[in-house]
Amino acid sequence: MDDAEKAQTRQQVERYCALNQQVMELKAASVFSTESLSATKRLLEQNTELHTVWNYRRTIFMHLDAWQNADERQQMLEQELNFMLEIIQKNIKSYWMWGHRVWTLSSLPRPEWKRELGLVAKLLALDARNYHGWNYRRFIVSQLKAVAADTHAVDESEFAFTTEQINRDCANHAAWHNRSKLLPSILAHKSESDQQQVLQTENDLIMNAIYTDPEDQNAWLYYDWLLDIQKSDDDRCRLLRNKITAIQELLELDEDSKRPLIELVSAYAELQRLAPDTISDIEKADCLDTLCKLKNIDPFRAGRYSDMSRTLGQQWALSV
Amino acid sequence: MSEKTALLVDKHVEFIKSLDKKQDELEYWMTEHLRVSGIYWGLVALHLMRRQDALDRDKLISYILKCQNADGGFGGHINHDSHLLYTMSAVQILLMLNALDQIDSQKVTRFVVSLQDKNGQVSGDEWGERDTRFAFISVAILTILGTEDQLDHQGILQYVLDSMNYDGGFGSGPGGESHAAQVYTCLACLALLGELGRVNRERLSNWLAERQLDNGGLNGRPQKLEDVCYSWWVLSSLEILNRVHWIEREKLCEFILKAQDEEKGGIADRPGDMADVYHTCFGIAGLSLAGFGGLEDIDPVFCMPKNVIEQAGLAKWVTRVPKEWK
Repeated sequence: MDDAEKAQTRQQVERYCALNQQVMELKAASVFSTESLSATKRLLEQNTELHTVWNYRRTIFMHLDAWQNADERQQMLEQELNFMLEIIQKNIKSYWMWGHRVWTLSSLPRPEWKRELGLVAKLLALDARNYHGWNYRRFIVSQLKAVAADTHAVDESEFAFTTEQINRDCANHAAWHNRSKLLPSILAHKSESDQQQVLQTENDLIMNAIYTDPEDQNAWLYYDWLLDIQKSDDDRCRLLRNKITAIQELLELDEDSKRPLIELVSAYAELQRLAPDTISDIEKADCLDTLCKLKNIDPFRAGRYSDMSRTLGQQWALSV
Repeated sequence: MSEKTALLVDKHVEFIKSLDKKQDELEYWMTEHLRVSGIYWGLVALHLMRRQDALDRDKLISYILKCQNADGGFGGHINHDSHLLYTMSAVQILLMLNALDQIDSQKVTRFVVSLQDKNGQVSGDEWGERDTRFAFISVAILTILGTEDQLDHQGILQYVLDSMNYDGGFGSGPGGESHAAQVYTCLACLALLGELGRVNRERLSNWLAERQLDNGGLNGRPQKLEDVCYSWWVLSSLEILNRVHWIEREKLCEFILKAQDEEKGGIADRPGDMADVYHTCFGIAGLSLAGFGGLEDIDPVFCMPKNVIEQAGLAKWVTRVPKEWK
């Protein structure tokens, strides 16, 4: 660093430390005023991670006269939401800032949950995997449901949101995950025959994703979920057989396709657990061969394939 | 870039020692709020490298004690508000420095217990953010202090189980996507509660093994980038599940070593980036778990040296791991 840079850094350090000291002194003296509020804003603009200062800022709000008047509180906190929108670009992963946003929404006399939903949808359009964004979305949805006349409509709407996300990019793990959380309540409010329809649609969605990109883990993981929510082991075995058939079709196109091979051995392992007598000797041999093959084409996870070979081999009493 | 195959112990020790001397850097002041955690990360790294005497014990204890507030909790720095994150780091530091007798255990316990609500969920501080990290931390702190009976275990267990997902992993709370860091905190929590039997070991082991990318590094969830810190979150989880051999350990070690800063010491999140004490800690912790030579063993639940944990009588969780997992 040259002298000019050093001088600039020294100035930055001095300014930041002075501001920090000012805020901490006001806090220690329990000063709850518009001036101290303003000081916290200047500091938080510099550093969104100062959770002690966010705490102090909230305490100041609650001590101001405006807090006692619903309209004034509404206006004050709406400004706070805008303030956070301004600084969120600096650090979109700030736990403290998201927490403060939750507090602000929860303290508003008239929170606009639908507008927040729109905002977070925009965020997720830019960054579909944003952990805080999805957590925040769930918080808003829970608030919407608390005031909704028809909570199922909210669930259906969220379910549709995940469909939209998956159709845009079937590699969106967060969307599949959220879908897995919504599916049980979607099913619970359907008749028996409608439930079958929903599950068939899920099956089609997964198959579509698998054929689009067989190497992507997401749809395969979600298939495990579909297995979980089946009502009987017979249904599970049927799905596993469908999975094996689909894999065999994919392998005809590319016999060294890694993920389908991994899923194949997983499917057999699961069948072994549920209905061991339904696996033919040829299939057992094929499975053990595949495990050997996987040790070569996916060597990082060779430990897993060795363990599976040993366990299944022992159960099938074939030589490995 | 030169091929780094050795752990640059002396460089890392110098890096950690130098952290408190960077008052002319803005970054030093901007991270003041988590200084206590920074000390914890540095101390773990030093312990694993068998260089724990590199920092002044008395000075550290004196500083940590000043970070305790009237409510019994600890802030990340002097006069900073109490939070479970920094209370955890403070208690871990005092344990490693063999100085737990310098604090009033009941006072700290009261602070932690006050953060559990009637539904069993645990907040990080009085402002109410809930996260499975805090469920784990509350149990861990009280276990270290010997007061774990004062928490509602059933409530915490339920919260953790409600955070389990279809892929076997755990999220930050009910509905949260599986994330390796949350997997670690939930597994560690279940380990301390003696409830590891509730885990879907096969699914979770698969999910964790899939975190390893072609460059040998580990990511935190599907399609994300590798990061040295996942060497800890993922590997400690696999260690608890007794499945560390489900990833390629040598390649992981190579990846971590490449992320070292040869000049200034320290380890970065990935090769070529700037080093920081957080990644230095978890990189070295990952190396230890992966069996890299010359390092102390680390307890995968407490993220502290095994010898410290055993001496303090805290290794009981090991005896409650399901027998079939051994």
